[in-house]
Amino acid sequence: MLDLVGISKTYPGVVALDRVDFSVAPGEVVGLIGENGAGKSTLMKILGGVVAPTSGAIQLDGRGYQALTVGDAIAGGIAFVHQELNLFENLDVAGNVLIGREPLWGGPLRLMDRAAMIAQVQPILARLGADFAPDAPLAELSLAQMQLVEIAKALALDARLVILDEPTSSLTLSETERLLRVIAELKAGGVGIVFISHRLHEVERCCDRVVVLRDGRVVGTLVGARIQHEEMIRLMIGRDLRSLYIPPQSPPGSVMLEIDGVRTAAFPERSVSLTVRRGEIVGLAGLVGAGRTELARAVFGIDKMLAGKLRLDGGDVAINSARDAIDQGLYLVPEDRKRSGVLIDMSIASNISLPDLAADARAFLIDTAAEADRAESQKRSLGIRAPGVATPVKSLSGGNQQKVVLAKWLAMRPRALIFDEPTRGIDVGAKGEIYALMRQLADGGVAIIMISSDMEEVIGVSDRIVVMHEGAVSGHLARADFSEQNVLLLAVGKTIAAERAAAGSAA
Amino acid sequence: MLKKDLGLLLLILIVGTIVATINPRFLSPINLSNTANLIGLFGLFSLAQAFVIISGGIELSVGSIIALLGVVFIDLIANVGLHWGVAVIVVIAIGILMGMVHGLLVTKLGMQPFVVTLCGLLIYRGIARFYTQDATAGFAFGQSFPTLEWLTAGRSFGVPHSTIAFAIVALILAVVLHRSVYGRYLFAVGKNEEAARYSGIRTDRITIAAYVICCGLTAFASIFIAMYTRSISPASHGNFYELYAIAAAVLGGCSLRGGEGSILGVVLGTILLQVLQNLVNLLGIPSSLNFAVMGGVILIGVLADQQLVAYRQRGGAPRAAPAPAALQS
Amino acid sequence: MKRLLISSLAVAAALSVGAANAQEKKSLAFVVNGASDFWKIAEAGVKKAQSELPKYELSLKYPEQSAAAIQQRLMDDLVAAGTDAIMVSAVDPKTSTEALDRIAKQVPLFTTDSDAPNSKRLAYIGSSNVELGKDAGGLIKKALPNGGKCVGFVGLPGADNARERIEGIKAALAGSKVELVDVRGDDIDQTRAKRNVEDTLAKSPNIDCMVGIYSYNTPRIYEVLKEAGQLGKIKIIGFDEDPITLGGVKEGTISGTVVQNPYEWGYKGMKLMAAYLEGDKSGIPANGLIIVPGQVIEKSNVDKFESELKSRIAGK
Repeated sequence: MLDLVGISKTYPGVVALDRVDFSVAPGEVVGLIGENGAGKSTLMKILGGVVAPTSGAIQLDGRGYQALTVGDAIAGGIAFVHQELNLFENLDVAGNVLIGREPLWGGPLRLMDRAAMIAQVQPILARLGADFAPDAPLAELSLAQMQLVEIAKALALDARLVILDEPTSSLTLSETERLLRVIAELKAGGVGIVFISHRLHEVERCCDRVVVLRDGRVVGTLVGARIQHEEMIRLMIGRDLRSLYIPPQSPPGSVMLEIDGVRTAAFPERSVSLTVRRGEIVGLAGLVGAGRTELARAVFGIDKMLAGKLRLDGGDVAINSARDAIDQGLYLVPEDRKRSGVLIDMSIASNISLPDLAADARAFLIDTAAEADRAESQKRSLGIRAPGVATPVKSLSGGNQQKVVLAKWLAMRPRALIFDEPTRGIDVGAKGEIYALMRQLADGGVAIIMISSDMEEVIGVSDRIVVMHEGAVSGHLARADFSEQNVLLLAVGKTIAAERAAAGSAA
Repeated sequence: MLKKDLGLLLLILIVGTIVATINPRFLSPINLSNTANLIGLFGLFSLAQAFVIISGGIELSVGSIIALLGVVFIDLIANVGLHWGVAVIVVIAIGILMGMVHGLLVTKLGMQPFVVTLCGLLIYRGIARFYTQDATAGFAFGQSFPTLEWLTAGRSFGVPHSTIAFAIVALILAVVLHRSVYGRYLFAVGKNEEAARYSGIRTDRITIAAYVICCGLTAFASIFIAMYTRSISPASHGNFYELYAIAAAVLGGCSLRGGEGSILGVVLGTILLQVLQNLVNLLGIPSSLNFAVMGGVILIGVLADQQLVAYRQRGGAPRAAPAPAALQS
Repeated sequence: MKRLLISSLAVAAALSVGAANAQEKKSLAFVVNGASDFWKIAEAGVKKAQSELPKYELSLKYPEQSAAAIQQRLMDDLVAAGTDAIMVSAVDPKTSTEALDRIAKQVPLFTTDSDAPNSKRLAYIGSSNVELGKDAGGLIKKALPNGGKCVGFVGLPGADNARERIEGIKAALAGSKVELVDVRGDDIDQTRAKRNVEDTLAKSPNIDCMVGIYSYNTPRIYEVLKEAGQLGKIKIIGFDEDPITLGGVKEGTISGTVVQNPYEWGYKGMKLMAAYLEGDKSGIPANGLIIVPGQVIEKSNVDKFESELKSRIAGK
């Protein structure tokens, strides 16, 4: 139903797409993978009619086009579900699904027909297996539920080709499972699907065919049994897969960070205790909403701890604000990089110096030369790719922005670091660099907690895994017991046999 | 940032040249001195406003603070008989207290700055009118305070002392805003409060300090303004002055979204606004058109600036293109 | 927008106050056009009337701002609160005819200060601004026997009282060698009032005389000329009785000022309204105009005027 032949797109000085062929048949799930900058976004913009190709031909539903317009794309039944959701939090589900196309009554008064709206949306939700009603306020839904609303919106438009752009990046494991089921359901209904993701094991599971892009070219198409993890990564980065796990240089040392009976506002009746040793990377796994981010925020002093104690290196510490935590050498790399991690409009140097500005100041005045020096050395040692330290952070790629967040803390003396989803939305190459940095820090004696919902990451990077379920620790896993199955079981609140031994060794 | 200021300077020079060509008296020492005096008076509280705007807030009670503290000041020295030095301290202390209250309401109680300061606008105006029972506060005929008058309304070598005070304050604030740790924190809080908090900045204190600086400095300005008009009718004194301050700050490149602005910009913005007022009188434009002229020039100024920025960005597009995928991924 | 907000708050406030007042006595209201010292004198007259009218409750009401709409709301609120008669100094009488009529339909309405002759008001009590302007014109001619150029300063050049005074001045100057070349407005902003004088001095240093048309304009002129060392060289003619103005007249640096008699307006107006409510309509002339003449104050009579003023305000 969709056939792109020899599509090229050049911007002055750069070739974004080079003679790309791409097709989707009804009822087919096509994976589109590639590192950031490989040309996926440009290809999607051409499909959406936002960008016109420089050359090439587009066939949609048997009609030929030079370039699609937004109207052509919609009329042709193409619908997008973006990574960043495009919904109105102040409307209910039905209002969102039918936005701009509400059934009306009352003639010139143009009143909305609520009953008709609900009646229209109900079957779509049922088809998707949604567990919420058409009149539920959107603000009360979880991210995964909102994503279903987006998909419902696409179906309400009678979409025959749904493009899912990084649909699972914010979803928990079980939510991802459900989305994969929805995809299978759509496929059975004859809808064509383009599945764009960095999470390769999901691509592996749901795609009939995978197209790999690199540097604007199609470097390989995998079908059926050839859709394999190693093969995809090899094509994407052009080299063989190295194991993500870098073993520590020496066994973990004494206990550095001790979280003792901490309660947060998210689950006021449940407390969390866990310890991290020097040189250890502890993966904190669990479903989204299990209280992991809330725990990190409370430990770092952003939110109030309702109860509990923190010990660093054996001594009690009182943390009432992020400033207190930072003064103790306890740092957080937050989940939402652009909102909390960096000041996107400020320069690299200003971002790096911000938590420790006093070190670069004399009598309240900033010594900009000292500030730039320090930033420069961090930029070198972390390999931040930017023209200079005066470059605003917003012009950097996601991976380099994350390195700026890290540089901010590494320029000081970290004792314990909490990473909250450290590689979300970051391409494979930069991911590897961040993992290497984490290990380097750990080897330098820092205690590290890594909150992650990416199974590959949790299993590949951690020395030990702690799983949380509904605000409490549901289990510990030692490296020998690492498996998707085990993490998943603990995350949904079940117990496993091997768990007891690991818990014993951690206590 | 520098380019923005240069553009504004250019606009001032163009307007000045036009006015001077039509009426050469624009450049007469007495007119320049008078205009400089008003630049000083309006500049003091425009700088104050800039701090709150950079923090991401807004201070709407400026005009009412000027009326209330002006009335209090004149009453203290003319009727109560307090020494003017003490009165200056009292007035500035009240200003600082007001700023503290605004800041606490905005940060600790999470109220919107617009609402807090709008209420301030109404409350202070009401108190000012009640304080004098709607009568005009002023000096009796012949009553004079030579030192105070010399300090606030006097001139040295033709330069009004209000202008000198403004220059000194601008210099200090420029160092505070552009060179000090506090200034950097203020920009960070204005740009993205959450990220600033995650970087260990005590954002509440920074915001409160912005309101304290704003109201304290406005209190200082209110003394100069009171000594200039020498009589204050509390119902109308300082009406709309917050809008002059916001206009000067916006003209000077402050973003109402916070996190942007420069002291030089606000200084230039104030100069342009006062030159415009002067122009209305000097060119014999009907006084009723005063605000219209001002609004028109601000609109053109801000619009031209935005178009210029957009033009530069378009010009830079080819260089930004190597990473088209970075736009959205 | 600011005005809207202020006015709606004021309405709420006025309503609650009005409702709280028990309606035992009949109440008479004097609604002025804005806060100013001038009305303090009128208030003295109202107080005098109050002492003679124990069965009435007299009050002087200030609108929050000098805007017709805000004043209109104030009057609507007063009527709603049960006020029995209103005397008003309308902000913009020419365009408020309908609105004034609406009030006049409900309660006896008198105008003062600036008349609204086309409305259904019962009578106007006050000066004739044209006559006052003519008096000022006379003072100007007297100060500049050899002719010259004058600039006027005023708060709201479009307001009727300003227009009529200017008209009066121009009428008196017609045919003489004195000319009123410009009138600058300041929207009742003292800073701009002062600046207007400074700018005028910078623009035309050879000006011969300045006229302060609103009460606060004259002191501002006086201050600027004093700072510029031009007192006496440039003649000042004023209106009304600001203390600085009277001081200048005493000093001889201000040629003279034309004063109204707001004390009489307040006193007579209130008495008239009380009489009207009691059925005595004899006080209202056929043409509906009760003109209280103004007074020309010069160095010769300023002391006498000032002491009389003081005793009136002090006498309550």
